[in-house]
Amino acid sequence: MNNITLGKYIPLNSFVHKLDPRTKIIAMMILLIAIFIPTGFVGYGIIGVFLLISLISSKLSFSFVWKSFKPSLFMLVFLLVINVFLIKTGDVWLTIGSFNLYSGAVIQTVYIVLRLLLMIIITTMLTATTKPLDLTMGLEDLLSPLAKLNVPTHDIAMMISLALRFIPTLLEEAQRILKAQASRGVDMESGSFKEKIQAILSLIVPLFVSSFQKADDLADAMEARGYVVGAKRVRYKQLKFTFFDFITLVSTSGLLVGLILLRVL
Amino acid sequence: MSIHFEKVDHIYSPNSVFEFQALEDVSLDINIGKITAIIGATGSGKTTLVQHLNGLLLPSKGFLTVNDFTIKADEKPKNIKELRKQVGLVFQFAEYQLFEETLIKDVAFGPKNFGVEEKEAEMIATRALITVGIDPKDFVKSPLELSGGQKRRVAIAGILAMSPSILVLDEPTAGLDPQGAKSMMELFKMLNKEKGITILIVTHNMEHVLEYCDEVVVLEKGKVIMHTDKKQFFKNDQYMEKASIDPPIIIAFKKMCEEKGVTFDSDVLTIDKLVSEIVKKRGRR
Repeated sequence: MNNITLGKYIPLNSFVHKLDPRTKIIAMMILLIAIFIPTGFVGYGIIGVFLLISLISSKLSFSFVWKSFKPSLFMLVFLLVINVFLIKTGDVWLTIGSFNLYSGAVIQTVYIVLRLLLMIIITTMLTATTKPLDLTMGLEDLLSPLAKLNVPTHDIAMMISLALRFIPTLLEEAQRILKAQASRGVDMESGSFKEKIQAILSLIVPLFVSSFQKADDLADAMEARGYVVGAKRVRYKQLKFTFFDFITLVSTSGLLVGLILLRVL
Repeated sequence: MSIHFEKVDHIYSPNSVFEFQALEDVSLDINIGKITAIIGATGSGKTTLVQHLNGLLLPSKGFLTVNDFTIKADEKPKNIKELRKQVGLVFQFAEYQLFEETLIKDVAFGPKNFGVEEKEAEMIATRALITVGIDPKDFVKSPLELSGGQKRRVAIAGILAMSPSILVLDEPTAGLDPQGAKSMMELFKMLNKEKGITILIVTHNMEHVLEYCDEVVVLEKGKVIMHTDKKQFFKNDQYMEKASIDPPIIIAFKKMCEEKGVTFDSDVLTIDKLVSEIVKKRGRR
């Protein structure tokens, strides 16, 4: 449980940490689009190198990113199995009895793995280098044109930031309840199917009860400090767009344009 | 029967930015059959220490022995279930662990996990709920219908139902009203005296330490800086100051008297005794 790194902010002092959150959000979106431009392994290689450089400049460790990737391994194995049975394009690489393994299946799976890996690196870099509060501010700013269309941009940003804020809290809570139930003899790993269901219930029910309670308390605490839904709010901290943000945006856009050209030409 | 810590270190999230050494070189012998208080400032490692006792946490270095079990670094003790049956651990704000539809089912959950039959588990649960002072007509209620203090009692009953020989309580009275806290401490004392259960209590309440505990372990920044009996502990208050804890009112009163030149014996630890001492001193004048 301690190994879950999803959405966790890592306080370091790096170039990427200091970037404007808006820059990081836009750069993330550009890179996510870039991943879906079908340019084969060359394109993924280019994006990979680009991300490697950004990862190094963000001072995040590789093991941290690997930990974020690990939970999806199971899904990838599942995908591999399905692909192997369903995709019948390309050359036959291996024949076992009446079963043929096609190159298309393997290549397709490798594509998916790479795509997912790159996506996880990108999103992890965003959440690990940006404080949840800054992330909200950035989102709100980027969504602000929609406010003219009466979209409650501030509320949306607030909800997103609260959701992000409570991921670690809920994990901590889950861990605490797991330990408490383990002290009562719950064994999450072994036991019959019925016992396992019971074990999961003993975690989920208290977790739900305490989340609702936390939500209630939070709502009260926010109102007590004068939060009104939909009211106009001013900010203490102002976002600043610097030269480094400019460089970041230009280089990511350049990457996207380059990949599109690679595809078209 | 023993509890022994041998040079135990515990490090959270080693080799990361969040690395934190919670315990450092802890060597400790807890006396069986006593009520031991574990005190120290917030973040001094109290909770980490007690979570080693039933193998929820494993030492990063060193080892500990609890009854016949040895808990070593990086190796889960064999038969950990039996260990958890013998060492009942009540968490801080234990009321959050309740999940069954009725109190009795929730309390019976523990024994059932340890292989007790349904019928018998409910009988054990009934006894445990009566021990902690829950009204039998509430037994079929949902835990959500109870007050906070009652819920906590039910959670404690859930641990007692496993009939542990060692009971570990992590701040069992936090957030309770003074009356509720007092009756809870009375319950622990009763369990200790009548059933001979060894009790460890993590607490911030010095009045409780003075009134109910036999021994005191003081933690500071993950190290055990003192382990002594209650009388010795209250004799010199520098440790209380070190652990940033207010002394109990009697100790504070005695100290004030001493500053004015009136001294009392260090055995005087209850109001009654203090009053009779004062009467004696006045009579002599």
